[in-house]
Amino acid sequence: MNDRLRAVSGQIIAVAVALLMGAIIILMVGESPVRVFMTLLRGAFGDQAKIAGTLLQTTPILICGVAACVGLRGGMFNVGIEGQLFLGGFAAAWVGFAFPLPAGIHMLAALALAIVAGAAWVAIPAYFRARYNTNEVVSTILSNYVAVLLTSYFTIFLFKRPGGWSETPPILPTAYLPGIFDFSRLNGGLVIGLVLAIGAALVFRYTSWGYGVTMVGSAPKFAEYGGVNVKRQGFLVLLLSGAVGGLAGGVETLGVHHRFMEGFAPGFGFDGLIAALLANGSPVATIFTALFFGALRNGSLLLEVDTGASREIITVIQALIILSVSAQVLVRRRGDSQAGERRWKF
Amino acid sequence: MEILDKLVNVALIAATLRTTAPILLVALGGSFTTKAGIFNIGLEGQMLAGAFFAVLGSIWTGSALLGVACGVAAALAFALVFAVLVVSFRANEVVVGLALNILAGGMTISLMKAIFGTRGSIVGQGIVGLPKVQLPGARDLLGSWASLISGFTPMVYVAFIAVPLLVLFYNRTRLGLYIRVVGEKPEAAEALGISITRVRYTASLLCGLLAGLAGAHLSLGYITMFTENMSSGRGFMAVAILIFSNGDPLKVLAGCLLFGFADAFSLRLQTFGYPSYLVLTVPYVVALTALFALSYRARPRIIMETLASMQKLLSVDKNPGPDGKHPS
Repeated sequence: MNDRLRAVSGQIIAVAVALLMGAIIILMVGESPVRVFMTLLRGAFGDQAKIAGTLLQTTPILICGVAACVGLRGGMFNVGIEGQLFLGGFAAAWVGFAFPLPAGIHMLAALALAIVAGAAWVAIPAYFRARYNTNEVVSTILSNYVAVLLTSYFTIFLFKRPGGWSETPPILPTAYLPGIFDFSRLNGGLVIGLVLAIGAALVFRYTSWGYGVTMVGSAPKFAEYGGVNVKRQGFLVLLLSGAVGGLAGGVETLGVHHRFMEGFAPGFGFDGLIAALLANGSPVATIFTALFFGALRNGSLLLEVDTGASREIITVIQALIILSVSAQVLVRRRGDSQAGERRWKF
Repeated sequence: MEILDKLVNVALIAATLRTTAPILLVALGGSFTTKAGIFNIGLEGQMLAGAFFAVLGSIWTGSALLGVACGVAAALAFALVFAVLVVSFRANEVVVGLALNILAGGMTISLMKAIFGTRGSIVGQGIVGLPKVQLPGARDLLGSWASLISGFTPMVYVAFIAVPLLVLFYNRTRLGLYIRVVGEKPEAAEALGISITRVRYTASLLCGLLAGLAGAHLSLGYITMFTENMSSGRGFMAVAILIFSNGDPLKVLAGCLLFGFADAFSLRLQTFGYPSYLVLTVPYVVALTALFALSYRARPRIIMETLASMQKLLSVDKNPGPDGKHPS
């Protein structure tokens, strides 16, 4: 418990250091840090609708974060969540507008295809990573660019809504994710995200498969001697991570936009990865870090209205948080990680 | 055939050289870190920062050269942060690199909004681009082929001249040797009394230098403007090249020419009316295919090396050692 307490306090101190550095950058940009942070806070939690908006932004970050956690646990950097999100989103929208099905089944079918699309998109990088040890970071990053362009092509050249600009026809209401409040677009996706996060945590904690995955990630040699098929496990981990990434896209189109639009979810995949890193790969902790980043994101919308700062200032703050967490400047014990191989763990 | 003639001609080769230059510069920069044993995914961010600050410097000083210097300085700052975190604090290279990329993206957009009050791109505003270098006598000597060696911006020449220089650097200089030793056998370097920390810092900074030049070429070379995320994955393609070339300058050149060609060819296809979204995927698909194909090909080599080392072990076993005793 003491260890966990120290880990959490280390993370919090790192976030504080990052916020301090962020304040300096905000000063450089010519704004008042206090005003910017207060605006962020007001934009994120100011009233009922704002809180619902924050939760709405949290949903895709949380699901993408779980996807990243699954990968990180198994020692895999799935940086391609962004691409899986786009393909999953498009796949779900396609089922949603092209195949009229009864309510309920329609939604499930759309989500299922989103999952399949996400997994399929990561399958090739995963295969080469498992079989030939091809660096998965580079291959998944590069496939992001292809995924975004490909979905844009589908949307604009093949399935454009007549009269629309760069969006598909609207999804039939039978495929909508049910809403939670009537004053916000917040929907069942948040529930899916929470269930996924807790489910993933339980799988990692209580099943032998989850234990095997964790061992492959933290001590591959040990796992191999213990009888785990490391290559197969690595492949499955990336596939599963991609599947969850695809689901995130499906949830976003079925729950929020009700159509697929070009650039419908910019940066959620990366935010999810950052949330998972800040949570140190723990799915339950990712719930809180995703909420934090969702709040930043929702707050940044007001930032652009009320102050002169651009909303990308929160991207800067997020990057600073990860940098300072990765260094653990203040709480690192000397000699802690001087020896041994580097891992994703901080 | 006529279409092929239109697609492939001297202009295409010249365009290939032009589009190769930025990715070649950044990949050569990455070769320093690759050789020093650091996986540097942060090239993209260094390049982007270089591009932005080159434009900024060029506007402030009114000189393209000082603009380039500003771009290089920004890329060096990113490289220094990378080195401090990765080498001194032993943080995870991938995490730090990705975070720096995200930082570069967010920072350039925020600064653009703060300084110019615009989103999207900086055009005009008094940006001074790099001049084109006309080699004297090229036209008399080569006629219509002159566009292959003359009329490029200076960075193109810098990129291609850097290749043989880097070959010499790795094979003939002390620092080049140190970088290779630190990358291949850090224990040996330590035993020789080489400071691993210092060598890795040097490699990171050299990498930042070239990445900054690459960025400056992007924004002050053939187009004099800055747009959001204008490096558009070139840094990542460079990392892909570095993985399968292992940082050897000549192999890096070969890989970059392939990408430069893919880039130039896709631009050419676009003018023929193919859907731009599909055409734009070409360089990324080429990068992925090359990465996968070459890692597939590397497999027999790994097996052969294992066999060779096993044979060596066996032959040592059979032969008596120099002092006459059997080693086993």
